[in-house]
This record gives sequence, C-alpha cells and structure tokens, in this order.
Amino acid sequence: MANRFDLPDLGVGIGLRTVHYTRIVEDRPAVAFFEILSENYMQTSGRPLDYLDAIAEAYPVVMHGVSMSIGSTDPLDRDYLAELRALRDRVGARWVSDHLCWTGVAGRNTHDLMPLPYTEEALAHVAARVREVQDFLGAPLALENPSTYAELTGGTMPEWEFLGRLAEQADCAILLDVNNVYVSSKNHGFDPMTYLDAIPYDRVIQFHVAGHTDHGTHLIDSHIGPVIDPVWRLLGIAHQRAGGAAVLLEWDAEIPGFEETHAEALRANEFIGRAA
Amino acid sequence: MRREATADAIGTHERASATPAHFEVPQHARHGAAPAWLPDKLDLRAHQEWFAAVVTTPESEPAPVDERSAAALVTRSDRLTSLERLEIYRRGYHARLIECLADDYPVLQHHLGDERFESLCRAYIARYPSTGSNLNVYGRHMAELCREEPLPEPGFAADLASLEWAIVLVIHAPTASVITEEDLARVPADAWADARLVANPSLRILHLEHPANAYLQAFRQGETPGVPSPAKTSVAVYRTGTTIWRMELTPAMVALFESLAGGETLAASLERVAPLLQGTDETEAAQRVMSWFRSGVSSGLFSDVST
Repeated sequence: MANRFDLPDLGVGIGLRTVHYTRIVEDRPAVAFFEILSENYMQTSGRPLDYLDAIAEAYPVVMHGVSMSIGSTDPLDRDYLAELRALRDRVGARWVSDHLCWTGVAGRNTHDLMPLPYTEEALAHVAARVREVQDFLGAPLALENPSTYAELTGGTMPEWEFLGRLAEQADCAILLDVNNVYVSSKNHGFDPMTYLDAIPYDRVIQFHVAGHTDHGTHLIDSHIGPVIDPVWRLLGIAHQRAGGAAVLLEWDAEIPGFEETHAEALRANEFIGRAA
Repeated sequence: MRREATADAIGTHERASATPAHFEVPQHARHGAAPAWLPDKLDLRAHQEWFAAVVTTPESEPAPVDERSAAALVTRSDRLTSLERLEIYRRGYHARLIECLADDYPVLQHHLGDERFESLCRAYIARYPSTGSNLNVYGRHMAELCREEPLPEPGFAADLASLEWAIVLVIHAPTASVITEEDLARVPADAWADARLVANPSLRILHLEHPANAYLQAFRQGETPGVPSPAKTSVAVYRTGTTIWRMELTPAMVALFESLAGGETLAASLERVAPLLQGTDETEAAQRVMSWFRSGVSSGLFSDVST
C-alpha cells in the first residue's frame, strides 16, 4: 500500500454512467472499478439502485459526491450524511470522496462547486468539518481539488498549500484531479508542476482525469472528450510520486459508447508505466 | 389494454461534477449597482452569501455588483475581468439547472421549442431555487408552473409535465415483484370477494385534460405530433423491473384499479365499476371487468394479493 490509509490501488476505472448500464449488467466487461456519483443513487428507491446493486456485486465501487458542501458555512446536513453512509454500506464502496468547495449557503443549493477563499479562517472551518464527517462515516474522507474559474481576493496561501495543510490538519485523504490542476493552472496562470510538487502523496488515494473545453479566455472542466496529453503527463508524474493509486476517467457529456470510454481510460496505462 | 414502454434512461441522466460547457463565453458582462456589503469586512459566511447572491441572480438581470466591488472580492485574470469570471459561475448555475429540467422534460421541451422551454426553465429556477442536496426531485413543480406562465397551451403543457414527472417518480419508486395470474389461481374461489390487492408501489394513475400520452408516444416514435384538442384521459404509469410502462385507461378501468389500489376488496371494487357499465349486458359486463382485472394483474399493476 502506497498511501497511509492502506486503501487499495484499484487500477484504472471509469465513472458509472446510465448510458452504459445495459452493456455492463448484461455483458460484465472487464473493468477494474467503477466510480459512482453518490447523489445519483440517493433520494431514490428505484431503478438507479437496482442497476447499482447488480454492478456492485460484480465490481469494486467507489463513491464520489457533489453535495457535501464541506466548505459551506451552513451546518453539515446530517440527513445527507446518513444517507451517504447507508449507500456506502449498501454497495460496499471502498471509499467516499467529495470536493474542496461549497455548494450552498443559507439553505439554497447552487449544485456547483463554488470556490473558497484560501484563508486561515476557511482552513480551520473546513478542517473541523472534515473531521466531523470522518467521525460520522468512521472512515477517511477524500477531498478533490476542484477546477476554479475565479480566485477570491484575501487569500493568504495558494490552493495547493491549502489542500496540503487541510489534509494534514483533518487527517483526510486526497483525490487529486490532474485535469483540474491543469484547468486551474491555465485559468489562474500558475505552473501545474508547482501544484504537484506541494501534494502530500501519502494521502493520495485516487486520481481523476477528464477532458475539458477551451473557451479561449478560460478553460471549463466540462468532462467532454478525450484527455489531452499534457494532462496525461501530469498524471504520469503524480502517479509515480504516489507510488500508485487508483485512476478514474470522468466523461460526463457527449458520452460515447462503453468501449470508447473504457479505451480512453486505459490510455492511462501508457503514462503510468503499467501494462494494460 | 394497450401499454407502451419507456425503457430508456429518461429522467436518470447524470448529475455530475462537470461544469456545463455549452453556454456562451461571458463577454462584456453587464454590471449593476454596488452591493450593500463592504467587501473588506466580509467573513467566510458573508463571502459565501455574496457569491451566491451574484450567481443565482437571473441572467436577464445585471449582476448585482459593480466592477469595482467584484474586483474587491475576485481577482481578474490576464484575459477576464473579475465580473466576467463571476459570470462563468452564474451561467454555469443556470445552465446546470436547465440541463436538469431538460433531462426530466424532453417532450415538454419538444412541444414548446428550445427557446420557449429555456425561458420556462429560467422562470422555474427563479421561482423554485433548489434548497435540497439532490437534483432528483428538483423538477417537481413544473406542471404547476406551466399553468401559471403565459404559454400558448398552458393546460396541455401542464399535462405533458405531469406525465413526464410521473415517469421520473416511477423511476425512483421502490422496485417490487409483481403477482401473476398463477398467483391469482391459488386464491380459493370462496375467498375472491374479500380478496385485496396490493398495488405496485410505483403505480401512478394520472387524470389529464388532454391526450398527452398519445402525444408523448408519437414523439418517442419519431413523429412530429400536433397539439391535440382537449379530451379527458387517464394513464397508469408504473414500472416492472427496469421498464417503465404507460397504459391508457377507460373510466371504468380507472374505477376498478383505483379502488383495488386503494385497498378495497374485489367485491367492493366491482361495485364501484358497475354504475359505469350500466346498459351493458350483465354477462358482458362481468366478462369485461374480469378481463381488465386479469390484464391489470398480468401487466404488473399489483405486487401482492391477500385473502
């Protein structure tokens, strides 16, 4: 085990998407693991869970959420956490992750990954909440670095320092999205290697890669299309530094067929020096 | 009885961490008045409330912040002003929720056309900002809004929305096994009158003012249906396994199935149907009711029978 949490390197997986359900359930293609969007299987008792149960019986599953709102100044949503924990236990998910962001405040939810000011106040606030969530889940929470399109003034440290210090203070895991590192580096004008150099790799349990959209003036983390080579190269560097960890391709719009999606994910092996 | 399947992924598209990419790049973002807050006094809470206020302001209105105040809270890049960077989030917020509603209401979108549907969605977002952690239930007010908005055929739009929302609810309703005619055959003859059926937990029976189901079916078959004239119709929407079914019902069928689904005995349910078959030969009426009953069972409307 390369990470301090003794969580397994699951290999190269893909995000579970509805357009692939039938192919997966009927044919059971060889896939190292699937990542689910947690909220797609919450507040439902029906068909999504039926598919998920069948898939979780046959494949390792990890959970990735978008609504924990760990950085919000609203109280943590205990009902959400209880349902999240129940879902994890139901499908035997290897770990639970979410994003370093806030999604709602004052009772309203934006359903987007809103940026935090990287201040000591925010660091103390988020670290306390991460510890609370981990106590509730009885397991480490992995937090992902988000793509950001705006930097808030008043920050006293760069995002990579905030993430590293947060992980240490809260004793949490990191899901390092190298596409997000790339997108934010272009949007904010920093060297992505500076980001990678600052990561405490013994806390990295998973990597994300994805496509993005270049609007000329900025990049959007759209999860459309194949991963570009500069992002793959960032993965290769980070993966080596971590001594191995699960790699996951996110493809969320204009999703191609299962074979093309999986083949794109397996390109990771070319960059992490692993035989497919 | 004829029923049609809705077996694809309607209503179950992903709620992903990705940012919608197909909205226009914010250029020359309009700005409004300066916010009431003093930017240098914002703590984390006030910071988030300010950010959320900007992001959730309808795009038809100027951002509720001027360039100077925006710059006090968001840095500019070498290619975008502070306000333009905020606009990315504002547009992303609205685009994501519009995508969510379009996933839930593809036939309503077809009926209204893209432009009018998007306007309806923007009205929806302004009227019903999301307060929950999950988007599975976000679109639940659409039929209600259709009746209130100045649409060309608000009643028909509302019926379509009701039907499409029923499909979403059926997707997320608990899955249950269903009884078969063989199960019924095990009920002793002298127990029939007092037998009660348990409805498939996904079953919804809708009463509409327009033949919205026929319109939906035509759309799904690749046709371009016109707006139908008003006509009262009833539709059962339910699920067996992963397949969602839509079944049009006559008033007598509605009486039978609603009574049974409401927990009344078979005898009591038959009594409810009887007035609707007046004028029909008694033997013929009995045969029809038994035929509907068996068909309802074999179609999967019921999940258990008790005597």
